[in-house]
Amino acid sequence: MIAVNINGKEVKLEKAVTVLEAAKSAGIIIPTLCSHVLLEKYGGCRLCVVEVEKMPRLQTACTLMVTDGIVVRTETDAIADVRRGILEFLLINHPLDCPYCDKAGECTLQDLVEKYGPTTSRFREEKRKVPESLEDPVLVRNMERCVMCTRCVRMCDGVQGASAIAVISRGGHSHIEPFSGGKFNCEYCGNCVTVCPVGAIMSRLHRHSYRPWQLVSETETICPYCGVGCTLVAQVRDDVIKRVVPRIGTGVNNGLLCSRGRFGYEFVGHEERLTTPLLRKNGDLEPASWDEAISFVAGKLKEIKDSHGADALAGIASPRCTNEDNYVFQKFFRMAIGTNNIDSTARLGFAGAQKYIENIFGQGSTANLIPGLANADSVVVVGGDPTAINPVLGLQIRACARKGGAVLTVGHVKGLRYFTPLEMPSSPHMETALLECIVSALREKKGLPGSNSVLEGKIKDLNSSPDDIEKTCGVQEKDFSRFTDVLAGSSTPAVVIGKGLVQSAEGGYKLFLACAINYLINGRIYLLTERANEQGLLDMGCAPDLLPGGRPVSYAEFRKRYETAWKGEISEKSGLTLFEMIEAAENGSLKGLYVMGENPVFNMPNSNRVENALRNTDLLIVQDIFLTETGKIADVVLPALGWAEKEGTFTNMERRLQRLRKAVRRDGKDDWKIIAGISDLLGMRMNYTSAEEIFAEISRVSPIHRDLTYEEIEKGNVIYPYKGEPLRGTPGEIMTHRSEVSGEAGKLLLRLERPLFHSGTLSRHADALTNIYPEAVARMHPDTAGRFSLSEGGRVRLSTSLGFLELPLVIDESVGISDVLVTNNFEGKGAFSVMDYTLDPVTGAPMIEGMEVQIEKGVTA
Amino acid sequence: MEKILLRNIENPESAHIGEYMKAGGFRSLPKALEMERKDIIEEVKKAGLRGRGGAGFPVAMKWTFASADPKFPKYLLCNADEGEPGTFKDRPILEKIPHLLIEGMAISGYALSAEYGYIYLRGEYPAAKDILDRAIGQAYEKNFLGDNILGKGIRFHLSVHQGAGAYICGEETALIESLEGDKGQPRIKPPFPVNVGVFAKPTVVNNVETLSNLPYIVEVGGEAYSKIGSPDCPGPKIYCVSGHVEKPGVYELPMGTNLKDIIFTHCGGIKGGKKLKAVIPGGISTPVLPPDKIDCPMDFVNMPKHGSMLGSGAVIVMDETVCLVKVCYRALKFFEHESCGKCTPCREGTGWLRKILGRIENGEGEAGDVDLLLSVSSNILGKTFCPLGDGAASVVQNFIKHFRQEFEVHISSKTCPVQGLNA
Amino acid sequence: MRMLSDAAAKEIGLIREKYPTGRAALLPAMYVAQREFGWLSSDAYEAVSDVLGVPKAIARGVGTFYAMYKHAPMGRNIVQLCTNVSCMILGAEKLADFLKNKYSLVPGGTTPDGKFSLVIMECIGACGTAPAMLVNNDFYENLNEKYIEEILAKYD
Ligand SMILES: Cc1cc2nc3c(=O)[nH]c(=O)nc-3n(C[C@H](O)[C@H](O)[C@H](O)COP(=O)(O)O)c2cc1C
Ligand code: SF4
Ligand code: FES
Repeated sequence: MIAVNINGKEVKLEKAVTVLEAAKSAGIIIPTLCSHVLLEKYGGCRLCVVEVEKMPRLQTACTLMVTDGIVVRTETDAIADVRRGILEFLLINHPLDCPYCDKAGECTLQDLVEKYGPTTSRFREEKRKVPESLEDPVLVRNMERCVMCTRCVRMCDGVQGASAIAVISRGGHSHIEPFSGGKFNCEYCGNCVTVCPVGAIMSRLHRHSYRPWQLVSETETICPYCGVGCTLVAQVRDDVIKRVVPRIGTGVNNGLLCSRGRFGYEFVGHEERLTTPLLRKNGDLEPASWDEAISFVAGKLKEIKDSHGADALAGIASPRCTNEDNYVFQKFFRMAIGTNNIDSTARLGFAGAQKYIENIFGQGSTANLIPGLANADSVVVVGGDPTAINPVLGLQIRACARKGGAVLTVGHVKGLRYFTPLEMPSSPHMETALLECIVSALREKKGLPGSNSVLEGKIKDLNSSPDDIEKTCGVQEKDFSRFTDVLAGSSTPAVVIGKGLVQSAEGGYKLFLACAINYLINGRIYLLTERANEQGLLDMGCAPDLLPGGRPVSYAEFRKRYETAWKGEISEKSGLTLFEMIEAAENGSLKGLYVMGENPVFNMPNSNRVENALRNTDLLIVQDIFLTETGKIADVVLPALGWAEKEGTFTNMERRLQRLRKAVRRDGKDDWKIIAGISDLLGMRMNYTSAEEIFAEISRVSPIHRDLTYEEIEKGNVIYPYKGEPLRGTPGEIMTHRSEVSGEAGKLLLRLERPLFHSGTLSRHADALTNIYPEAVARMHPDTAGRFSLSEGGRVRLSTSLGFLELPLVIDESVGISDVLVTNNFEGKGAFSVMDYTLDPVTGAPMIEGMEVQIEKGVTA
Repeated sequence: MEKILLRNIENPESAHIGEYMKAGGFRSLPKALEMERKDIIEEVKKAGLRGRGGAGFPVAMKWTFASADPKFPKYLLCNADEGEPGTFKDRPILEKIPHLLIEGMAISGYALSAEYGYIYLRGEYPAAKDILDRAIGQAYEKNFLGDNILGKGIRFHLSVHQGAGAYICGEETALIESLEGDKGQPRIKPPFPVNVGVFAKPTVVNNVETLSNLPYIVEVGGEAYSKIGSPDCPGPKIYCVSGHVEKPGVYELPMGTNLKDIIFTHCGGIKGGKKLKAVIPGGISTPVLPPDKIDCPMDFVNMPKHGSMLGSGAVIVMDETVCLVKVCYRALKFFEHESCGKCTPCREGTGWLRKILGRIENGEGEAGDVDLLLSVSSNILGKTFCPLGDGAASVVQNFIKHFRQEFEVHISSKTCPVQGLNA
Repeated sequence: MRMLSDAAAKEIGLIREKYPTGRAALLPAMYVAQREFGWLSSDAYEAVSDVLGVPKAIARGVGTFYAMYKHAPMGRNIVQLCTNVSCMILGAEKLADFLKNKYSLVPGGTTPDGKFSLVIMECIGACGTAPAMLVNNDFYENLNEKYIEEILAKYD
């Protein structure tokens, strides 16, 4: 117990903190500029000076640690004079442009000068002049307002880890540079904006569009983009989101955001948003009234069901919709229609992978706390770049490295390259062999723990030995043993698995090997997910074989429970998966498809095949916020309210339930309301009046969500397994399948770039993000490009068995020699249009990564 | 007194290990390796050796802290940044008798059980870089450095790290930052380098001259050493005198030699028999003294009593032809240029002071400017992160304290009244 | 983009081994790059950043902190004249004027023939033999105008 006296107040402290923090805990605020809770101590601005008895000179509260019995004064005339002096120094080069400055009203410097002065300047010389800079796509910089607190630099370097900016030069010439995009690996997280105390760095999105005091409402909600589920605050004026900011001390992200979360909100008010229902009349989609559209849909559904049976209908749920929407959607299909034909794009990898992992380690084994990563002593990354797919989770891995934890990557992970990773360079065709060798090496080094006989049986069967590893896996012997030594030696390891693993050749088998590694080192698994509510929709039962709470449809006793709750019968026949739906549509056995908040024609591999399949149905219903590729070929398009316009809950990858809140008003219907309307016409009344009411039902029906309420969720930390009981069935047979066919060296392989700045439909309509990353490109290693004498910016034609794409070329050292990277984010230029797939026999995920591709110079200019 | 540190310096081959050994070099290292580590530190304590870099911190105390820290490896850094204007006392050691320093460091390294040493050499001494590299190579050949020094199983590795032109890197924590490949900006203390220094390991930073005293201390013992010069801070001291004296240069004298004697006896008095106007006794950061205040022993204890500091023992002598406003201006130009920019008062204040001084010197000063100088400098003094800013402020305050008249005349007459330079 | 010569890359590799971290080799590595490129251009920073695995912006931040790294092309020889107090009171500024009038060599500038660049230095530790300067790596002390003429004549 440490006792200190601050301004006559006795303050008791558990542990030694800075005088600044101690004072704060006693409600005494000491002025600061350079110090910030998220950043390392600095002590540069000198504004926080205080008097400490028995100490000669003034001390800076932000750096001085309290010791028992010290007596501190934070506001004396002498101190006020010093602060006035410091502020006078800062104003020497600070323009007096508060009237035009967007920061005015929330500017620390302005507030301090108001409090301490000076009122006039004694500086007669020329002020420094720096023109406003708009060269950055999302930031506006007025560096003549900079007070050199270096918060932005310490944020960028010490927390974000992008190290894109630095203090250039020294002394009075010091200035902060540059934000010039990729060249200096800026990640556009905008976290520098959060910490800048003055108007030097601000978001460009709301430039001169309002004054801080004109914001009418602030709504705390959850980011619409990825599965991390960052908490953010939407600041709104006239039902337009003016700015999105994080909140320090709140949410998994605690004050940090990535580019998507902070700058990706512009889709909300986008002029291309759907406003009225559309009905296809003699060939064209034409505006229709809600009544007309709804009764058409209901009529058609009934017709098909009566003539072809319920299983001729299917639904695709949405990882962007709330739990409530998805719950109602699957209930509608199971009860009003009478089929288990419900699935989603989670089938592209997440669903199968999670099921596989949970079968081995138990339900909930992927629900691990994201901040926990920072405290792991080693993190293994396979199948993707966490800093791009789930950026704020990526920061935790960087933090782990900073704390001295080991970062081990299978393949090159660009976003971790400055964090001294132990890298196992892996070409796709050697990855399996490499993972096998790692498993057997760990088996030797650690032995078998003996807790899971089924799994151990499989591990024992592995007969690949790490000898001649250079040949079989293309890695150096010493690197390999270093890699496995560190792994074997770590006591709190984590295994981060990206979709790239599951979606590559032998994905299911590689997943088994990743699980084996995790088992041998006794780690925690983090399963990356691109979509905000991918976990939630599965927990809501939007899967052909699972009921809400992840209970298998096939078990009668489970069905019974839901049947009583839902007052009806549930088909015992488990439904079609996403891919089976496509086949069924092709062969005509699927007559009608209802797509909610999803864009299969774009988001599924071999998208042309998918398009033709969907065209082949009698009824295609698309419910969305934009007219997507899928919407364009639909018979009915139903406009829904989107993120920021509705209430509900999301479940993030930690399986944390979080509240999505309405930030802006907009005419329209929630997804669940639209479905309820149709359901009513089909004779199953759904008279919910609010999302909360739906959740109340969920918490009655779903065994894992038992007794949860919005109230509790809002208190935070509602994390799996919640209050209900997880499914603890004995692990079934662990399927493994090692196909012998894996591509051989020399070939060029088409792989998916999963970029930091895009997500697809949403990001496409967020101008800020498209400004950062404006068009589809192909990425290649300089050597590869050289081989085909292609140069940066030139057009390259990529041809596969499915057709070709022509894209501008970007040279990128971080790309593998045998790889060509293309994103699937841009209209008409999606990688999926030329990527074919075969389904993995184990996870049912499409193996799309690394199909062979031919490249040549583009023909179109 | 015959030279101790700079003995053999006249020998043109003095930088070669052979010559150094002929003159008795590398006899103390073997002797030291026979001693207990703590006993060496004890001798240094008896010797009363205080740091020669400027601060005059007791060496044995610093060493004791570092030895007490359980973390390994430990590092010994030699501060060869010699940046304080007017100072050129370390350069002769570095260029002419590098092995004295190397032997001193090997002994210190052993005493501290430090296994690695770096000489942080200012970038402005390119010649010294080559000389040191060569000398270190020779010392390795002779097994005075390496993994198994003189077969005693003692390890000490030494290399030169070249700075790149930043005065602040002389400040020990900035030096450490710079050695780690960062900007030379001072660190928050505590933790102190003796506990968390370079690469987060216990680190001792000592000046070139300081470390060069070790061979002699080991040779004669702390007791005998402490008999040299001032009782309360004994030892030989290298003074370097520049400016308007007949015989400027480097003088090794007993610590505490009177400043007046240094100027008028050893250096032959003021050049061309001109009148003495002012003396900066310890490098530019130390308070300037008027002629009537220079009768004082040059050591860490007495100089403060006479209104200045020993600093690096760099005496700058100025005769009547010198414009002190101009000197003050030039000094501030230096501090402005060298401010690392970390803390507000120094970053913004030094430049402001320089600008005001500039306009006074150019005859554009305005009434009240002298008080403005005093006010601005007092807004810096005591508020900066490190002593550099304090130095800048105190320079202005002391020039005005002793020579205010000259400033006022500049302002009232709107020109620089002093001939000489500007003639 | 211009790269480091293999020799230089190798040299940096050796320097790297003198330190426990790659970052610590940054200053010496930038000296090598400066020698190679003549000054620290973007390419030079790119190159250093690649060999040491230090983010480019960081390298540039560190490089621009130190006065002896050059951020513009330089003449073939660099005249580094000290004008700090000890040299100043013994006439260093007059020598600066001399360089200007005789060689049209101004602080921060380069002679038309690209032979010399002039850099004004803070104290270079030759106060006892002031005024003094460095030409490239060589010290010249007790300067006067005539002596400077002789010295500069030696360089081309
Ligand atoms: C601004 C500043 C510059 C300094 N420059 C030097 C220097 O050039 N050489 C030096 O030995 N010490 C210098 N010092 C003192 C060092 O910080 C440190 O006290 C000294 O190197 C310790 O060694 P010593 O105890 O042997 O003197 C400087 C200190 C400050 C605050
Ligand atoms: S006083 Fe401040 S700005 Fe000046 S050198 Fe020290 S830390 Fe840097
Ligand atoms: S807040 Fe303490 S020095 Fe800036």
